[in-house]
Formats: sequence, C-alpha cells, structure tokens
Amino acid sequence: MRNSNNTGEDRNKDASSLSTTLDSRFNQTLRNVQGTLYILKMHRLLKGRSFPGKVLITRRSEPLDQSVLYSPNTGRRYSDTDFEQGQQVEISTENELQNRSNTNASSSVSHATMGTETMSKEIQKYSAGARATDSARLMKFTKELSGVTVILEKLRELAWSGVPPYLRPTVWRLLLGYAPSNSDRREGILRRKRLEYLDCVAQYYDIPDRERTDEEINMLRQISVDCPRTVPDVSFFQQVEVQKSLERILYTWAIRHPASGYVQGINDLVTPFVVVFLSEHLEGSVDTWSMADLSPETISDVEADCYWCLSKLLDSMHDHYTFAQPGIQRLVFKLKEVVRRIDEPVSRHMEEQGLEFLQFAFRWFNCLLIREIPFHLVTRLWDTYLAEGDALPDFLVYIFASFLLTWSDQLRKLEFQEMVMYLQHLPTQKWSHVELEMVLSQAYMWHTMFNNSPSHLAG
Amino acid sequence: MGAYRADDDYDYLFKVVLIGDSGVGKSNLLSRFTRNEFSLESKSTIGVEFATRSIRVDDKVVKAQIWDTAGQERYRAITSAYYRGAVGALLVYDVTRHVTFENVERWLKELRDHTDASIVIMLVGNKADLRHLRAVSTEDATAFAEKENTFFMETSALESMNVENAFTEVLTQIHRVVSRKALEANDDPATLPKGQTINVGSKDDVSAVKKSGCCST
Ligand SMILES: Nc1nc2c(ncn2[C@@H]2O[C@H](COP(=O)(O)OP(=O)(O)OP(=O)(O)O)[C@@H](O)[C@H]2O)c(=O)[nH]1
Ligand SMILES: [Mg+2]
Repeated sequence: MRNSNNTGEDRNKDASSLSTTLDSRFNQTLRNVQGTLYILKMHRLLKGRSFPGKVLITRRSEPLDQSVLYSPNTGRRYSDTDFEQGQQVEISTENELQNRSNTNASSSVSHATMGTETMSKEIQKYSAGARATDSARLMKFTKELSGVTVILEKLRELAWSGVPPYLRPTVWRLLLGYAPSNSDRREGILRRKRLEYLDCVAQYYDIPDRERTDEEINMLRQISVDCPRTVPDVSFFQQVEVQKSLERILYTWAIRHPASGYVQGINDLVTPFVVVFLSEHLEGSVDTWSMADLSPETISDVEADCYWCLSKLLDSMHDHYTFAQPGIQRLVFKLKEVVRRIDEPVSRHMEEQGLEFLQFAFRWFNCLLIREIPFHLVTRLWDTYLAEGDALPDFLVYIFASFLLTWSDQLRKLEFQEMVMYLQHLPTQKWSHVELEMVLSQAYMWHTMFNNSPSHLAG
Repeated sequence: MGAYRADDDYDYLFKVVLIGDSGVGKSNLLSRFTRNEFSLESKSTIGVEFATRSIRVDDKVVKAQIWDTAGQERYRAITSAYYRGAVGALLVYDVTRHVTFENVERWLKELRDHTDASIVIMLVGNKADLRHLRAVSTEDATAFAEKENTFFMETSALESMNVENAFTEVLTQIHRVVSRKALEANDDPATLPKGQTINVGSKDDVSAVKKSGCCST
C-alpha cells in the first residue's frame, strides 16, 4: 500500500515485493466474500479500450461460465498455500488484459475462465475453507499480538481484511500508534495518556463560560447542538451520559487543534471509537448497553482512548478540516479523475447532467462514509481505514470510487435532480458485510492497478 | 438534459436556498415541505442537501429545487457556491436562540454578495411552537424585515405551522418577478418557447427555467 511514489526504476522490485502482500490480502478479501457463498464475477472483462471496471457479485447458483478469479497484480498462475493447499488459480494480469484488448476482447474472457464444473468445486472448497480460516486468522492475530514487540506492518496486513471484534480495541490502539508496539511499555504509556486527557478536560472543559473566549463559546454551542444529533438512529447515542462524553471529547480536541477547531461531522468520527472501546466493558449488542453500568473511572478511560485515537486519525488529515477544507476538495477532485478513468460512460453522464462531485462526495470525505452505510458495518470499514495508516487519504479515493460505481447502472438512467437525491440517500440500509467487502476488494484492485501503472490507464 | 418525464411536468423551475445558523431547523423545514416529515433527532447537514417539490402558483406548475445548506461558519466557503443562480432564499433563525437572529445580518450580506439583486428573500423565525422559550419577539423581527426589505414569517416545522405558507409565498413572489422580467423584455411569458431561459437578473445563470429538463446549478 505504501507504493504510491513508485518511479520507473524500482517499480519492478516494488511490484514483486508488493505481490506477496497483495496476494494474501486479496485472497483474504476474496475469502471474506466467498465465505458467504459469493464469488467474484468479472462481468464484461473488456469492452473496446475501456477498462475492466465491472465486478459483479453473483450468487453461487447462477451459471458460472464467465466467472473468473481475478488478481490485478500478479503476472502468472500462482499457488499460494495460504489460499488453499496446493491449488492453482488462473490469474489474468493487467498487461495481458491490455494486450488482449488489442486483439480480441471476447477470447480473453474464455481464456481466463475455468470450466463451470471446476469452478463450482473450487467455490465449495473456498467456502468450507473460509470457516476453517477464521480460526487460522484468529491464531495469526493472537500470535502477532503476543510478541514483546508487535510488528506493525504485519498487523496492518492482517487487520486490513477485518479484525475479530474482541481484538479490535487492542488492534486499533496499536494501528493508530496510540499504544506503543512494545508490550512492556504499553500499560504505563496508556495510563499516562489517560491522566493527561483528564488534565486537559479539567483545564479546558470544566471551566466557567466567562473564562472562555467568544469563539470558544461559539464552538461549545455548536458541539452541544450536534451531540444530540449524532448517529440518532442508534438509540445508545441518545443516552445523556454518552452525549456528555462526546461533548467533552470533541471540545477538548477542538481547543487543542485550533487550526481546524470543531467542524460538523467530526462528531460522527468519534462514534466508532466509542463503541469499540466501550465493547471492552459492556457485553451484548450496542442497543442493550447502558452507561449507568460503568464506573466514572471506566468512562474516563474510554473517553481518553477515544480522544487520543481521534487525534491520531485526524493527524493524517490535517487539512481536511481547516478553512475551506482544501484536503477534502483535493480528494474530491481526485475521485472525479479516478471515476473518469474507470467508468467513462458514467463519468460523462454525470458531467452532462451538470452533477458535481462536491454535491455528494463532500460528505463522504467529511464523515468518512459513516453517514452512508449502516452503523453496524462501520467498525469493519474502519479496520481497513486504520490498517492503511498514513496512506488512508489516498486510499479513500479508491474506496469511494468503488462505492460510487456500485450504482453505476442506476446512475446512468437518472437525470440531474434524481441523481443528486439518489446519491444523497443511497440504498445501503440492507447492506451486510458482503457488499462492504466487495467495495473494499474492488477498491484494492483499482488502487493497485493505478499505482503500478498510472500512465497506460490515462485517457 | 434530455426529455423530462411526463409525471415531472412543470412550467417553471426555481432554485431556492435555505440558509441560517446551524440547528435553527432548516433541514426540518425542508423535509416538512417536501415530504411532510419532521425528526427531533435529525443529523446535521454536511455541505449541501437537496430536495424538490412542485406546487401550483396561479395557473402555473412551479417546481422548487431547494438546496439546504450547512449552517456552520466553516462550511461557508463550500456552501456559498450554491447560492449562485438562486432566485429565492429562506433565511432561517431560531426564535428561542437570540444569537441566531443576531447572525441574520451576516447571512443577508453573504446572500446579497453572491446572488442577483432581484432574489426573493423570506426571513423565517422557526420553532415558534416553543412559546415558553421565545427569545426573539415578533415585533423585532418584523421591524428588521421591513428595514431590510425582506418578507417575514414565523414557522414551526414541528407543528407544521406556516411551513407551506412560507415556501409558497417565496415561490409566488419569484413567479411574479419572473413574469415581470419577461414582460419588461417585451415578451409575453405565456408565449415563450419551451425550454427558454428567463434571465432574472443580469447574470445568465440557469436559475429560472421555463419548461425544460435543465437543472444544473
Ligand atoms: N421544537 C422545534 N424543534 C425544531 C423545529 N425545527 C427543527 N427543530 C429541531 O431543531 C434541531 C435542529 O434541526 P435541523 O433541521 O437539523 O437544523 P439545521 O438548521 O438543518 O441545522 P444544520 O444542518 O446543522 O445547519 C433538531 O433537533 C430538530 O428536531 C421546530 O419547528 N420546533
Ligand atoms: Mg440541516
């Protein structure tokens, strides 16, 4: 993932080292999808010179003739013991695809296709394998976390495809660099950070209004207007104690980050941390949680973790919330470019209708998609975000392109007004992990393709 | 911008913006007007949101394309881009929070900086249902509206009071302005060819469009 600055010379070297990580991540993503009896289906691999941009989810029962397991990066048939013992999968490379597009598009489809019979057998193996690998993955996490020093790169690679819920608090703290990778120092540092947060709250929040500037009063007022409106569809967030916690975290963060201060939408960004760190102390589903079951010390520790993790997360997006939000504007522009390269017809349609990406994608970047998907999927999405680390802003562009193009067919039928409204209320209410995994794996493929060979995709 | 659908038939398309401080109830006024919905726990608006509704004004069908903007100052740079081409505005404050009324002057300036002089502006004092919490008197607001030459109404998105009236009044006034402009241009509005843009002001924004599928900002 950290190969975005490749230049010609070391591209080969990087590409080969990357392919190892790519294979395992890609396979894991695939497994996530297949685990629920879905497979990747390349629909319309090539069409003229256009890019193979369509990946559909197909139920297992559907005919499989066009199905292909596709990895954009590796250049050969490969065998990956991690994938499934000794088994080989036909992989087409983008170079091959590119070459074929000059000759015969339809032959490339059959070339990369396994026989229907073989395919269904493979799938049966995969879905059985997916259950088996759950415990294998758990073992890997446990092993990775048990060392004296956690190797972050390895943890990132594992976490990218999803973290087991009960390990999430630990893993997130590590990925964000809030907890040190050295386990001997961990407890001490967390204790110190939590005390430091308490001091900040006492110094900035627990003071009378007359000691605040007008601007600070304004900010506090805005925060208190927004806290009751934070994830209102999850009843847990309606509890007064939760809203008080949110207010303390947000105000303290805003005061300590004067370049941006509080910006609406940052309230949404705290919520994944709140549910993840509270999950260490409360059992069952979020809907049954009550803050009354927690001691003030516990609440304060959880708040501190949320505060520091929010700070770490936003450090990698320092200009997303400053005046005129240049960081977001830049990414919205990039998104438009990437979408244009991947799906020219949709891109042209949107342009012809006068639709601007800012009209819908601004909120996506501002709230990191929290507003667009069901809340119970957000923590899974964030596993990938946090695994990306500093590369996250760049990778968001690909996730959002993939998210947008999930509705490519629908969008092409809509005119301006319907399109804006459709994009502002995308039908994700019924989404499960499957749809989310598809968005992520597609994003991963596009990101890899574009970053390895940006030039031949242009125009 | 091809054909418009038959069930979306209208004579005029007017772009209207909703502005005012955060939390005054802009999004709820919009959802009340377009979907007859109200929510005590609505989410804050990030950037802009958008909804439409068609109503009958005189003997014409007028479609309102309403842009709901984020109230926080930080978003001003983003949202003011959407003022462009607006022919109507509802400038909303909260009758229970005086500071939101004090800020109306700033919003007005913002609006006038970015739109044509002939824009129809309605000052809206929302949350009039919270009678025991009232902090801005009707008299003060009326006086301000008179001074600034805007229309004025008190509403409650919660009780559905005056919401319909406020929007309808703005759309009716816009229709009046548009018809007058068309007459001034020595053009009978009734005989304008379909799809022709009526320039409300000097700018050639596609803001009031007669019977066309066009609707870009
Ligand atoms: N009592 C009462 N509450 C209202 C009324 N209109 C809105 N509210 C409440 O005020 C709060 C804010 O309403 P919104 O419509 O989200 O405010 P907004 O102006 O769109 O805010 P931003 O999107 O942040 O700019 C919500 O809790 C609403 O339920 C009203 O007429 N009466
Ligand atoms: Mg709003």
